[in-house]
Amino acid sequence: MPYLGSEETVKELKRALSNPNVQSDRLRYRNVILRVIRFMTQGLDMAPLFMEMVKASATVDIVQKKLVYLFMCSYATLKPDLALLAINTLLKDCADPNPMVRGLALRNMCNLRMPGISEYIQQPILSGLRDKASYVRRAAVLGCAKMQNLQPDAEIDGAVVNELYGLLRDQDPVVMVNCLRALEEILKKEGGVVINKPIAHHLLNRMKDLDVWGQSEVLTFLLRYRPRCHSELFDILNLLDSFLGSSHSCVVAATTRLFLSLGSALPAVQSGALERARGPLLAACNAQSRELRFVALCHVQQVLRSLPGHFGAHYKKFFCSYSEPNYIKFRKMEILVELVNDENVGTVLEELRGYCTDVSPELAQAAIFAIGRVGQTYSEKCLSILTGLLELKQEQITSAVVQTFRDLVWLCPQCSESVCASIAGCEEHIQDSEGKQALVWLLGVHGEQIPGSPYVLEEFIDALKTEQSPAVKLELLTATVRLFLSRPAETQDMLGRLLTFCIEEECDMSVRDRALFCYRLLQCGVEEARRVLGGPKSDPSLGVIAGRPEEPINSWAGDFNTLAPVYSREDWAALTATTGGSPSLIPLVTGGAAQADLGSAEEAEAAGSAAAAAAPSPPGPSEELCLVSGPPLSPELFERRWLALEPSRRVSLDWPGGDCLPETLQAALQLVNIQALALSRPHARPWKAYLYAHSLGTVVLAELLRDTDAGGLQVTVKQDPEREEALSSFLTVLKTVMQTLLNSRASLSSHN
Amino acid sequence: WSVACIKPSVCLSQVLISRNYKGDIDMNEIDHFMPILMQKEEEVDVSPFVAHGAVHFLWIKHMVAMTKNNANAALVFAFLYKIVEVFKEYFKELEEESIRDNFVTVYELMDEVMDFGFPQTTDSQILQEYITQRGHKLEVGAPRPPATVTNAVSWRSEGIKYRKNEVFMDVIESVNLLVSASGSVLRSEIVGSVKMKVVLSGMPELRLGLNDKLLFQNTGRDKGKAVELEDVKFHQCVRLSRFENDRTISFIPPDGDCELMSYRLNTHVKPLIWIESVIEKYSHSRVEIMVKARGQFKQRSTANNVEITVPVPSDADSPKFKACTGSAKWVPEKNAVIWTIKSFPGGKEYLMRAHFGLPSVDSEELERKPPITVKFEIPYFTVSGIQVRYLKIIEKSGYHALPWVRYITQSGGKPVRY
Repeated sequence: MPYLGSEETVKELKRALSNPNVQSDRLRYRNVILRVIRFMTQGLDMAPLFMEMVKASATVDIVQKKLVYLFMCSYATLKPDLALLAINTLLKDCADPNPMVRGLALRNMCNLRMPGISEYIQQPILSGLRDKASYVRRAAVLGCAKMQNLQPDAEIDGAVVNELYGLLRDQDPVVMVNCLRALEEILKKEGGVVINKPIAHHLLNRMKDLDVWGQSEVLTFLLRYRPRCHSELFDILNLLDSFLGSSHSCVVAATTRLFLSLGSALPAVQSGALERARGPLLAACNAQSRELRFVALCHVQQVLRSLPGHFGAHYKKFFCSYSEPNYIKFRKMEILVELVNDENVGTVLEELRGYCTDVSPELAQAAIFAIGRVGQTYSEKCLSILTGLLELKQEQITSAVVQTFRDLVWLCPQCSESVCASIAGCEEHIQDSEGKQALVWLLGVHGEQIPGSPYVLEEFIDALKTEQSPAVKLELLTATVRLFLSRPAETQDMLGRLLTFCIEEECDMSVRDRALFCYRLLQCGVEEARRVLGGPKSDPSLGVIAGRPEEPINSWAGDFNTLAPVYSREDWAALTATTGGSPSLIPLVTGGAAQADLGSAEEAEAAGSAAAAAAPSPPGPSEELCLVSGPPLSPELFERRWLALEPSRRVSLDWPGGDCLPETLQAALQLVNIQALALSRPHARPWKAYLYAHSLGTVVLAELLRDTDAGGLQVTVKQDPEREEALSSFLTVLKTVMQTLLNSRASLSSHN
Repeated sequence: WSVACIKPSVCLSQVLISRNYKGDIDMNEIDHFMPILMQKEEEVDVSPFVAHGAVHFLWIKHMVAMTKNNANAALVFAFLYKIVEVFKEYFKELEEESIRDNFVTVYELMDEVMDFGFPQTTDSQILQEYITQRGHKLEVGAPRPPATVTNAVSWRSEGIKYRKNEVFMDVIESVNLLVSASGSVLRSEIVGSVKMKVVLSGMPELRLGLNDKLLFQNTGRDKGKAVELEDVKFHQCVRLSRFENDRTISFIPPDGDCELMSYRLNTHVKPLIWIESVIEKYSHSRVEIMVKARGQFKQRSTANNVEITVPVPSDADSPKFKACTGSAKWVPEKNAVIWTIKSFPGGKEYLMRAHFGLPSVDSEELERKPPITVKFEIPYFTVSGIQVRYLKIIEKSGYHALPWVRYITQSGGKPVRY
């Protein structure tokens, strides 16, 4: 961006940079470069100095080198032609005897985000991967990912992928983690890095050598690995157990997430893991940094969705302290409300009452609403606190209390008497429209119990001209008609005035309509109006619905330790809707070098035998009825084709009982050359699987869908191009595999 | 996850230094972030998560990370705090000034701590070998590459040498209490940490023995003076598996300062310095404060630098104090009286009275009611009774090293409400 007066500065710096006297004096040279970087940081355009800066990179001074590299990376995209000139220097530095210089040059060369750079960096990266200094290898490994990132459409280089898989065994822990990161980036289209058994075990054994970041990330990568048997699973759990006690909450959270995922079919493992994670999670709720505290609280809330009593004994940890920011206090109050039980209700309410008089009106209001929620179960105690708050005669507090009263009365009819006794005089302290609405509603519905109700309503009606909110007017109309039905003598006159005003002077359409409606309703006769407006005055059954049922752990385990828990569920849904992505499917694609690693010897035996039985069993397997393994299909391609095609056929397969493990299904299908692209987690409803196969020059795409436990398996098949024989052969093979799996499972369970 | 860029943004003014690590986010996205922060009057009340479009902003004081992925939130914050810590070790304070003055070092550090959105080396000891403050002076010739570039143990480099080998160990405990207005203790916990300053040559192997209750039970010792530690957390260097197996704390320490371990005890403790207060407010005329402090710890211990902060109304004026010991001072900018007592022996009780005038006109604003807080330090004493039984230092060159151990108890956050 052009900047006033920058031209002069640039000229001056240019002169200084090309002055041989300056160049020969290292200190002066570096100072000039320092000034260039300083101006660049301040937003001045220093691009015209590119040539001179490139020349300055040929130096033995490592700090000067760093500065020049920084400069080059910032402007390379603007001056790609000039940046190419720098490449020679960089290439030379990549062969420097000093590993610091080598690593630095390599890293920065890969950071030059400009077209055409990849052909130059390929060779240095490859030699960097084999460098004897780990510092260089770290840069080289990530360089592979950067290269792929520069040309996202380029073919994946199998040799590089293999090399990276090999480097997972590198001595240096950071190189190892970088390999995972790089592979994940490179193989993004194919579902990321593949974690098979040897890799998983290797990673598990290296865990203790890693730094915090490495540990958290490896734990996340391990989510992809499914142990083959129970004993392996428990070995993994034992190995990772100590990480639940890590001093870093991010490692604790990552471990917990992994445990929850590993135990998705074993509730005992999940609850055990949460039990072990309770202490660390509570400690994180009192962490030094308030952001970490906030994150921990969000996760506590998530756990409470399934295990309401999990933190019950520790409710005092969620008392707010004076200096905490409001966003933490809000969360703590929400948690406190959930932890209320017979024993602690007194203490919790006492604590919440303290917050009701907070300086922040939002917080005070939230505390009052929280007491209201507790009141749905412990109405008596809460009512006395709320009534006490009214005596403070504070605007905000009174409004919030009246709103809480309205909700309480609706849910707990037994409260209505004491509520009616206490709301007298409130109208003087309520200014906001929500509070007014609540008060007017109470006066209308319970007017016969409140001695002064007509006079309070009359005040509102008299002030109608100055009332801004249509919502209050609507509420006022209904309430006045209601009160007229129970106390006609006192109300008739003002009802008339109200209706006249609303019909003749009101500008808001909805208010006028409501007034007309009331007027016509009254014309139909009192009995008719009573029948329409009477209705029940409370609905205790709603309270039961409001108390949430416990959710299964698996419904949120996948989101644990991500960004999802920190947003409310609606917000998160809205956020993810814009970015797309379907988190419920586990991509299971194996591609390229990964497939070679997945030795078929390791496939579960059950799956193997099932598929072996299935393969020859299609009746009369003639040549053309066979499915062949073809080129792998990427998920994007699959999705495009799936959306484009019309379903060729729909069938329903018999499938009683639970789901089979995704590995078993995948292994079995693979043996008959059906590729599974993605599978839902077991026990997910609806459970889905996407499959594809090549046959007779066509591609068959299929979706398996299971909505309920009782129903069968719905199979939708699409084909491109249409070919009847291929379709039926695919279905026959699929049916046979599924049947065999069913049989083998039945025999397994009869053995046990 | 991948942090795309990090911007030390100071005091919400503007972005000082930024770095786009991955290049998948337009740097102009940050322009959406600042107004969101500005909207709120008080910075502290903005949630640390802000989303705009597909970009998530995760921010702490001075720093913001942007990501498009569904990142691991705890990790991002831990990383940001780590960077702040590293910066602080370099320039003492992280302020606009210090960043401007040291922007070269900031750039260098940002280059090393993260690459392509992935954290790399964040250990400040090791970073200090890559990037020295001396970097600003001129070094002629290529510097020798630091040993850690090729090292196996990531937290200690080889070839460290000292003339005198010593280890200093501080056992620091603090008591966190929540006391209700009625004077009952709502919640109490002891938070302890063991800090070390290691001045040792070579690759020493250390073993620390504590009077750990579980260890005593395992070895069949009588458990008279043992302490049951909860929620123990160790520095990365401690071999966790050995601790899990036989409760031995063995490790190769990093060079210089580090926090070796931290622990928590949920035992019920009474406040070490008990405060009773009577605050009488006569509207429109005066406020009278009486504070009584009693040392509830052993008589032979002494609390040092006791500082008791008592809040007073913001519109109070003309203070008068009477303290039987120490000195009381009015700090108008904090709306508080601070009563300091240099030395406070156990078992003693002191009294302080304060008198303030109030204006005859009421202020409109609602008064905040901050709690009374107490700060102090008791040397040679731990509340939990934890003790270092031994600290063995073994190095293959066989040198003799001296371990020094100190105990200190500090006040934690100890709000007393009224």
